[in-house]
Amino acid sequence: MAVWTYRWRPPARAATAGAVLALAAGPAVLAAPAAVAPAPTSVAPAPTGGQDQGENLYRQNCASCHGDQGQGGPRGPSLIGVGAASVDFQVGTGRMPIPHEMQQPRRGEPAFSADEIAALVEHVTSFGGGGPAIPQVEPGSLPTGRELFAANCAPCHGGTGAGTELTNGWIAPPLYEATPVQVAEAIRVGPGLMPVFPSQVFTDQQVNDLTAYVQSLRSERLDRGGNPLGRLGPLAEGLVAWAVALGLLVAAARWLGRGAGE
Amino acid sequence: MIMDRLARALDDRLRLSPLTRRALAKVFPDHWSFMLGEIALYSLVALVLTGVFLTLFFDPSSADRVYHGSYAPLEGTTTSAAYASTMRLSWDVRAGLLIRQTHHWAALIFVAAILVHLVRIFFTGAFRKPREANWLVGVTMLMLALANGFTGYSMPDDLLSGLGLRIIVSVVESIPVVGSRLVSLGLGGEFPSDEMIPRLFVTHVLLVPAALVALVSVHLAMIVRQKHTQFPGPGRTEHNVVGSRLYPSYSLRSLALLAWVLAVLFALGGLVQINPVWLYGPFDPAQATSPAQPDWYVAWGDGALRLFPPWEIRLAGHLVPAPFFPGVVLGGVTFLALYAWPFLERWCTGDRRAHQLLDRPRDHPIRTGVGVTALTFFAVLVVAAGDDIIARLLRVPVYDVLNVLRVMVLVLPLLTGALAVLLARALRRSEATHLGDLTRADLRAARRPARADERTTADEPELPAPDRPGERIELWPDGEQWRWRYRNEPAGVAILGNRKAPTEREAADSARLAYPGVDHVMVPGPPPPPPHPVRAALRRWATTAIGASLLAAALRHRRRRRWGRNGPRPK
Repeated sequence: MAVWTYRWRPPARAATAGAVLALAAGPAVLAAPAAVAPAPTSVAPAPTGGQDQGENLYRQNCASCHGDQGQGGPRGPSLIGVGAASVDFQVGTGRMPIPHEMQQPRRGEPAFSADEIAALVEHVTSFGGGGPAIPQVEPGSLPTGRELFAANCAPCHGGTGAGTELTNGWIAPPLYEATPVQVAEAIRVGPGLMPVFPSQVFTDQQVNDLTAYVQSLRSERLDRGGNPLGRLGPLAEGLVAWAVALGLLVAAARWLGRGAGE
Repeated sequence: MIMDRLARALDDRLRLSPLTRRALAKVFPDHWSFMLGEIALYSLVALVLTGVFLTLFFDPSSADRVYHGSYAPLEGTTTSAAYASTMRLSWDVRAGLLIRQTHHWAALIFVAAILVHLVRIFFTGAFRKPREANWLVGVTMLMLALANGFTGYSMPDDLLSGLGLRIIVSVVESIPVVGSRLVSLGLGGEFPSDEMIPRLFVTHVLLVPAALVALVSVHLAMIVRQKHTQFPGPGRTEHNVVGSRLYPSYSLRSLALLAWVLAVLFALGGLVQINPVWLYGPFDPAQATSPAQPDWYVAWGDGALRLFPPWEIRLAGHLVPAPFFPGVVLGGVTFLALYAWPFLERWCTGDRRAHQLLDRPRDHPIRTGVGVTALTFFAVLVVAAGDDIIARLLRVPVYDVLNVLRVMVLVLPLLTGALAVLLARALRRSEATHLGDLTRADLRAARRPARADERTTADEPELPAPDRPGERIELWPDGEQWRWRYRNEPAGVAILGNRKAPTEREAADSARLAYPGVDHVMVPGPPPPPPHPVRAALRRWATTAIGASLLAAALRHRRRRRWGRNGPRPK
């Protein structure tokens, strides 16, 4: 089950469609979508002190939507049984807490320190219900990981790991910022529209292999051909061919023609 | 001296000197837009050179091969021989990746240059009689270039290109009655067949390149035979070509362009990654990657497939699937329209005369409007091929993007086309030389349809005027031979005839051919040469040097500042 699927109803499809038109109109309007980006979260300072720390953090940052005991509410789903991996993933990638309701929270700087996240994870797991624990990632085999990735992950995250669009404005995010533990957590938890891959589907070793391959995708060594253009594929390459290469060559032809006194 | 003797020996046996003298004296127009086709020609040169290198290492076979090489994530994986050899080219052959990437970039530039060249020919009316045949040859070459681009892109047998091949196979299968038979004829079985890659290879390195080279020769031979067109201007008539001689000035300029093309292509090949097949992985019919688009020059077809609604009809008991219309019909209509355009235009305007002088785009508002409409239409289709990227970057539902583009592909071409007609008319009727000079009154006047007299004046045949004030042909002896030049004092133009003539009469005849009806005068000797251009050249070099050093200083300053901010560079 999706954990943080706040249903943000877009005001009107026409508005989003208008954004596409705006993009076509010129790069100046590109600034407009930035307004949707989450504002920097104002996080209440957490008082130090073992057991209480997690509870305080939860009360101040999560309870207003997820409820005092994680039972959920009109604005947020229940946290009972989501598991430590899910909490660690959502908070550790900076997706939670979110400043306002949105369809798909984006990755950002985590709002809490590692200790605070650990305390929060401990507090939420104390609500009960079980759920996947934070995986222990160990070294894996790259070739096996590549094959698993191509069969299970590439259709959404792309063979290059650049991510792509899904249905209804959801995206499968790029994988370049995820740490090994976060990759393993996402596989086990299945955040957002991502399917869950429990241990019946992938053994721990297979998760390790996948994690190893996703980490290798981050490496610049794979961009040995030069600037990867965001690894977006042939249309980005075509844009460079037209804007840079053909632009230069036509300018050269003009320059050479002008040299002839034309 | 050796060159001299070699030339003499060849001339003794083959009598080359008259031919060479004629060829070297051939005149090329100076306008820069005449070099656009040369960009395509030199890209083809780069393609052939890099392609030969690639064939030395590429293994066109779909046989199983266990990959062993520098790319760790594929170590020990069984892939096709084609994919494994592409991987070896990219990771283990010295300079292999540079050549492979340069080849791919050259293909993108090749088609782009052909398109820009075609646009120039179209908007200036250079396809009109007597050059319709060369237009047909050119459009055929465009089609062959697309075909070769696609086959080359599909050969490495990586996941992304395999998806593209699957789509094109499905498009062919969508042809009613014959589709599936055509596919099994072409592939030697079902997709993906073992015959596929060898056949793509033969098409890519032998059949299409041979046809391309043959057509390029025909294209150039026709240009030599028919001579170049030129823009109208003082001293330029339907009977002459004004420009630079092939040797020395034009050949130097052309070689400079060759150097530019090679430099840009190899720079891109070394600096910008293209088609990283190791990231996509080998093709497997059960797998997919996303976002996925084809190379830009077939992206219009992909965009049309994405935009076209899923309509299927039944015709005489046969199902016509949806991809038939955007895939087969659109492609067919596009190239048919391109082939037919010169004849269509002749039929519509009734203009059957030969034209050596070009139109400016404003001279034919309707043609300009049609061209802009078509270009906008295809540009929107190319954008539509990237609907997945647009949706991801904007975080809007992909179906909304599709719907917006569906409206745009129908509305935007009409708007831009109408705007082009309006601007062309306004430019033509006003004194303005550039778009920026247009006033609001010009635009308002342009809304009226063309008057009958306007239509005729543009096509009025050029008549030799009995007396043109200020125009003279000057003839003078140059050693044993004779030269002539055209001089137009009011326009400040002096044009030297490109070849010497053995007698005064022949010189006068050739001058009369180029400038009928202009008076001849004899002058004692060659006109004084223009002042030496050393000073101007020095000034230009000094400006360039100052600019370059300023740029270098700015770059160094920026780098130092960045280092200062981040502290010393980590080891």
